[in-house]
Amino acid sequence: MATVRQPDVNRLLGAAQTEVQKNRQRIEKGLDILLAREEPPVGVTPKDVIYSRGTLRLYHYRPMTDEVYRVPVVFVMSLVSKPFILDLTFGQSFVQYMLAQGFDVFMVDWGIPRPEDKRLKLDDYVLDFMPRCLEQVQKATGEKEYSILGYCMGGQLALMYGGLNPEAPIANLVCAATPVDMEGMGLFRHFSDRRWFDVDRLVDAIGNIPPDFMLRSFEMLRPMDRWMSYVRLLDNLWDPVFVYGYRVMYKWTNEQIPFAGEAYRQMIRELMWENKLMKNTLTLDNRRVDTKAITCPVLNVMAEHDHIAPYAATRPLTSLVGSLDTEDVLLKGGHVSLVAGKNAVGRLWPKVAEWLGERSV
Amino acid sequence: MPETSTRTDGAAGEAMELWRNWLTETERQWNSFFAEVMGRDSFGRVAGSYMEAYSVVQRALNQGMERYLNTFNLPTHSDVVELGERLHNIEERLATLEANLNNLASAAGIPTTAAVTQLRPRRTRRPRTSKNESK
Repeated sequence: MATVRQPDVNRLLGAAQTEVQKNRQRIEKGLDILLAREEPPVGVTPKDVIYSRGTLRLYHYRPMTDEVYRVPVVFVMSLVSKPFILDLTFGQSFVQYMLAQGFDVFMVDWGIPRPEDKRLKLDDYVLDFMPRCLEQVQKATGEKEYSILGYCMGGQLALMYGGLNPEAPIANLVCAATPVDMEGMGLFRHFSDRRWFDVDRLVDAIGNIPPDFMLRSFEMLRPMDRWMSYVRLLDNLWDPVFVYGYRVMYKWTNEQIPFAGEAYRQMIRELMWENKLMKNTLTLDNRRVDTKAITCPVLNVMAEHDHIAPYAATRPLTSLVGSLDTEDVLLKGGHVSLVAGKNAVGRLWPKVAEWLGERSV
Repeated sequence: MPETSTRTDGAAGEAMELWRNWLTETERQWNSFFAEVMGRDSFGRVAGSYMEAYSVVQRALNQGMERYLNTFNLPTHSDVVELGERLHNIEERLATLEANLNNLASAAGIPTTAAVTQLRPRRTRRPRTSKNESK
C-alpha cells in the first residue's frame, strides 16, 4: 500500500518564517535606499592632505605597517570621476589593501572642477599639477623615486607625464583600464565622431562638461545596466551585504564630476579624433609626448568585459613605451569591478601588490 | 521527508537560477540591440543635432540671463566666475609664497613636513617571495 505523505508542518512554518524575515529585510533596506538613510561611508582610510591647490588635493595615507617598501606609490585618478572608487569602503578599499601590504600610498585627487576651471587644459594637469604633486611625494618620503598607478584616464595622464619627462624618477608605472588606441573605443568614438559632434560649439557654449552629460554618455554604452541593476537589487534586497555593496557602488556611479572644458576639447580633438597618443604625435605646450621615452617597468592591467575602455583600446599600451620590463594582464571583470568590489580583492589587488613589491625595494 | 524537502528546495533554487540566467541573457540581448542601433550613423546624426540644439539653447539662455541680471544690477554667472578666478589667483600666490618659505626653511635646516608624515616607518620592506624565504 502506498503511504500517504503528510505535509511537514514544521518545514512549511520554517519556510514561511524565512520568507517573512526576508520581506521584512526587503522593506527595511528598500526604505533605507529610498530615504537615503544610513549611507555607507566611503573613502574612509585615514589620510592627510599634504598638498592642495585649487580643487586639487594630494593625500598621504597613514601607513599601516612598521616597515614599508622604499618606493612610494602614487595613485592618479581619472579626471571624470571621484577617487573614492580606489578607497571604496571597509574591506573593499584598494588603498587599504596596498597599505596593509606595506606600501606608502599617496593619491592625487583632482577635485571637482569649478566654473572658472573651464580653461584648464591637459597641459595644466600634466605639466604643472602632476610634477608639483610628485615633488611633494619626494619631500614627504625623502625618496627620489616613486611608482605611479593610473586608473583609466589617470593612466593616460601618467603616460603623458612620463612621455614628457624622460628624466623623471618613475620607478614603476601601473596602468589599469587605460585606453590608448581610441580606434578601439567603440560607441564612445562613434558618439564623438567629428561628422556630427561639434565639440567646439559645446565647450564654447557651456564651459565645463556637466556631470549629467558624462553620466549619460557612460550609461548609453549599456543602457539596460541601470534598469537591470534595480531588478537585481529587488531580488537581493533582503541581503545586507549585497545592498551595502550596491549602495557604495551606486553612490560612486552617480556622483560624476564635471570635465574641465578645455581638457575635454583636447581629449576629443587630440585623442579621440586624431588618436595622437597611439600615434605618438601628441604635443602638450608645444612639447612632444614621446611615450617611447618611458623606460621604467610597466604593468598594463585590462578588464575582459570593460565596455568603457575596451580591450582593443587598452591592449597596445605596452607597445607604446620603451620599457624592456613590461607585462600585460587581462583579468575577468568590467571597468569598475577591475579595481573595486569583491572580485578585485582576489584578482587585481594581489597582482599589483606582488608586481610592485618586487620592484619597490 | 528530507528527500521531499531537498527536492522542493532544489526546484525553487533551480527556478531562481533560471530566472537569473534569463535576466542576464535579456540584459545582454537588449544591450546588444541598443549598441547596434546607437552604432548607426543615423543615430549619430540625431544625437549630434540634439547636442547642437542644446548648445544653441544653452548659449541663448546664458546670454538672456546675463542681460536680465544686468538690468536689475545683480551679479551674473560671469561675475561670480570672475570672482572665483581672482580668488584662485590669490590662492596660487599664497601657495607660491608658502613654497618659497618652505624652501627657505629647508635651506636653514628647519623641518617643514607635517608632523604625521614625520612618523615615518622604515623603508626597508622586501617582498615575501619563496626565493627570499629559501635564502
